[in-house]
Amino acid sequence: MRRRRPLDSLDDDIRDHIERETRDNIERGMPPEEARHAALRKFGNITRVKEDTREVWRRVWLEQLLQDMRYGFRMLRRNPGFAAVVILTLALGIGMNTAVFSVVNAVLLRPLTCPHPERLVWIGDYDPNIKRDAVELADFCYWREHARSYTGMAAYGPQQGAMVTAKDAEQVSGVAIAGDFWSLTGARPALGRLFGPREQDTVVIAWDLFEREFAADEHAIGESVAVDGRSVTITGVLPKNFRFQFPMWWQSVEPRPVEAYFPLPAKDIAMGRTGTAVASLKAGVRAARAMAELDMLEKRAQEGRSPHFRGPATGLRIEPLADQLTGAARPALLVLLAAGAFVLLIAVLNIANALLARATVRRREIAIRAAVGAGRTRVVRQLLVESVVLALIGGAAALALARSALAILIRLSPNAIPRLQETSIDGVVLAFTLAVSIGTGILFGSGPALALWRSNLYDALKDGARTSTGAAGIGLRGSLVAGELALAIVLLIGAGLMLKSFWRMHAHPPGFAPENILTMEIPLSGAQYLEKPAQEAYIRELLRRVEAAPGVEAAGVSTWFLFEGVPFPSDTSPNQQHVIRLNAVSPGYLKALGIRLLKGRWLGEMDSGGNAVLLNESMARQAFGAVDPISRQISTTGKAIVVDVVTNLKYSQLDADPPAEIYMPYRQAPFLPGASVAVRTAGDALAMAPAIRKLISGIDPTQPVFNVKSLEQALSDSIAPRRFNLFLLGTFGAAALMLALVGTYGVIAYSVAERTREIGVRMALGAQRHEVVRMVVRDGMAMALAGMAAGLACAWGLTHLIASLLYDVKANDPATFAAVAASLTAIAMLACWVPALQAARVDPMVALRYE
Amino acid sequence: MFGPAHGHAIVKAIESNSEDVLQVEQGSLYPALHRLIKRGWISAEEGLSENNRQAKYYRLTARGRKQLQVETAKWEKLARAIACILKPAGEEARQ
Repeated sequence: MRRRRPLDSLDDDIRDHIERETRDNIERGMPPEEARHAALRKFGNITRVKEDTREVWRRVWLEQLLQDMRYGFRMLRRNPGFAAVVILTLALGIGMNTAVFSVVNAVLLRPLTCPHPERLVWIGDYDPNIKRDAVELADFCYWREHARSYTGMAAYGPQQGAMVTAKDAEQVSGVAIAGDFWSLTGARPALGRLFGPREQDTVVIAWDLFEREFAADEHAIGESVAVDGRSVTITGVLPKNFRFQFPMWWQSVEPRPVEAYFPLPAKDIAMGRTGTAVASLKAGVRAARAMAELDMLEKRAQEGRSPHFRGPATGLRIEPLADQLTGAARPALLVLLAAGAFVLLIAVLNIANALLARATVRRREIAIRAAVGAGRTRVVRQLLVESVVLALIGGAAALALARSALAILIRLSPNAIPRLQETSIDGVVLAFTLAVSIGTGILFGSGPALALWRSNLYDALKDGARTSTGAAGIGLRGSLVAGELALAIVLLIGAGLMLKSFWRMHAHPPGFAPENILTMEIPLSGAQYLEKPAQEAYIRELLRRVEAAPGVEAAGVSTWFLFEGVPFPSDTSPNQQHVIRLNAVSPGYLKALGIRLLKGRWLGEMDSGGNAVLLNESMARQAFGAVDPISRQISTTGKAIVVDVVTNLKYSQLDADPPAEIYMPYRQAPFLPGASVAVRTAGDALAMAPAIRKLISGIDPTQPVFNVKSLEQALSDSIAPRRFNLFLLGTFGAAALMLALVGTYGVIAYSVAERTREIGVRMALGAQRHEVVRMVVRDGMAMALAGMAAGLACAWGLTHLIASLLYDVKANDPATFAAVAASLTAIAMLACWVPALQAARVDPMVALRYE
Repeated sequence: MFGPAHGHAIVKAIESNSEDVLQVEQGSLYPALHRLIKRGWISAEEGLSENNRQAKYYRLTARGRKQLQVETAKWEKLARAIACILKPAGEEARQ
């Protein structure tokens, strides 16, 4: 209060001042009336003096901001329609960015949920046969024993198991672990305890499994369950929130989340099993030093042992675990971030355009405010604050939109991106949205503010009701729209290329109907299936029952192995060895999938005792080159005779060429560790799934039937990351298209409205209606085509950035470019045509009287 | 000149002491005065004017007087410097 006191008598002070000046003037001989006017003139703008004086004492900045915001809200309430359109546009633009950023935040920015995530490293050695990293577990044990750079090392590998509980038999998705897995991941048991490093035949289960199979009954802890026919003891349960990110390729082996943690069997290590290794560096130890030590240890390990199962590790390397786990998702996410920014930019241009049009209407209001004493900076700031208020409301709506969009995304494709399910709107995302909203507001508000800054406000008052901005204003808005179209076409070409990739992936041979094929898996585990006769008997019974079921057209089983050290007849040098994919199938399997015979004869039941095999096209080409392989020999598990060649078919992975395969009768296979079943049904495969599943479960209830899917689903799952990218980029493209369309229409319609007089004059002077239409369309299209040409040039330079996301389509695919350009031209044409028709309906008499 | 004075008198003093060179909008004096009050260089007090009306009188504080000396010295130094720069130029121009 004390600080305000000097202001209390300001009004008196000023009045006193003017009276004194008036008196002086009268003394100088002026008439009283004139004396007072002269005094007032000399004093200047009283309101402004008062305001300026008050500003000395106030926290002016904040107070004016609040005042501006109140005023902004009032302006919005006065134009609810306009405000709603702007807020919706912003919600869309900012919401998309918020959603993508939330994913980026969860996947790339947020540290892994373990103690000291920054110290965790991946130890990998690329294995070209399985096309991914693997380390031999025997090596791992040696490293772990001798290395000094690490606080701990852990190895793990996927491990499924058929768990038979009192409730039912279930194929659980699990992981076999060794070393310091628990301490590295920071696991703490919710119940019971975590098994120790030397314990075998134990299991720690996830909370979900505990609830589902054991009804969350604590008595289950310490009990034994049968897993693959062995008895294992449940030592503990992990809490519900325990998370550890396993490599993404696991999804293709087992898409379900890991729910059981087994100790790695000691005999697996001795047998040369490979796995995945992670380690935690000691504080202050650099990766390079740790790597040098690892190389040294590996050399020493090699000297000690021979012969090797896998050969020495040659490409051993260390990299941050977070990079290894999420690195593959990075390019796509960055592309999506950029695409989101594009959509937002288009939205900003649209809004700036609308505000520019409105600014011309508001010029009088603003001129009056300036005349009564608002400084130019003050008015400009007021306009910016108004824009930011709009943007903040839009940002709040965007948050709501992003929340539901994320929920949908996660439900649609939970496994498309590692850690996607950890996505949430946290403080970082909120800060991002706030910053983007404010930045956006300033960006679209600065257009009208700048226009105002440059314009002469006194003209606006003199001008009366005339609100034309003239050619310059239309030119500015035209170039904004051209920019919008340029951005939109870049996005649409990106989306178009991905759509075409998608289409190329689904280019199935005629007659292949994956929606009519049901697939499922049976592990064939347990003591009763250790011998081949028992395995064969089970499969025979399975085929008998399924083939007899109504609605089944063909059925078969398959189980495949990688077989190493095979020479090909086409080899040019001796001692060449290849890894082949050997697929043991029943006769009906290929027919059920729809694989067609190219030459030779089908494998029949009579081949079961012989040594006949089938090649697919790729394998025939690789192994025999141009030579006709029929009746020739190839070595597999033994010498075999090729009896036919069949078509390649993508039946497991849509975005890769079918692997080269050799098919052999399943009875020739050395053992049958499980079976993939394929059933071709007369109608929709999924409708028959429950019946067939029940039929198979009935053979032996201890054998879980899992991964029951139509082939269509399975294929679709195989490209989940691509579908995710396409879905998002497609949505962005559609949004961009819509915004650009609205923007173009808006500018043309506005320019037509402004040119009503001119059009009236033209028509009065004899211009025909179609000439008016042509004029408006020509002007609009000139602007649109300029923007699109610029956009096409940008796209030509930018699309190589998404080359890694495409399949079987070149980044500069001319067909896609042409198709997108043609459709956007058509759409822009439409956006020009509608206002042009309105222009043609102008009545010259009305138009001339207008204003 | 630095005794208590009301706003109008200060404006008049500026105008006449500057030989009418400095003709400012009189109103702009008031924000300036209040800035000085805020910094504690002058103080304002209520008083009765010659015609028995309430008027506000502004006077220099001790701190203001010290600041005035600092600013005056600064200004004189600057003015002298500028004069020195301009003087030879002016003489050359006259030749």
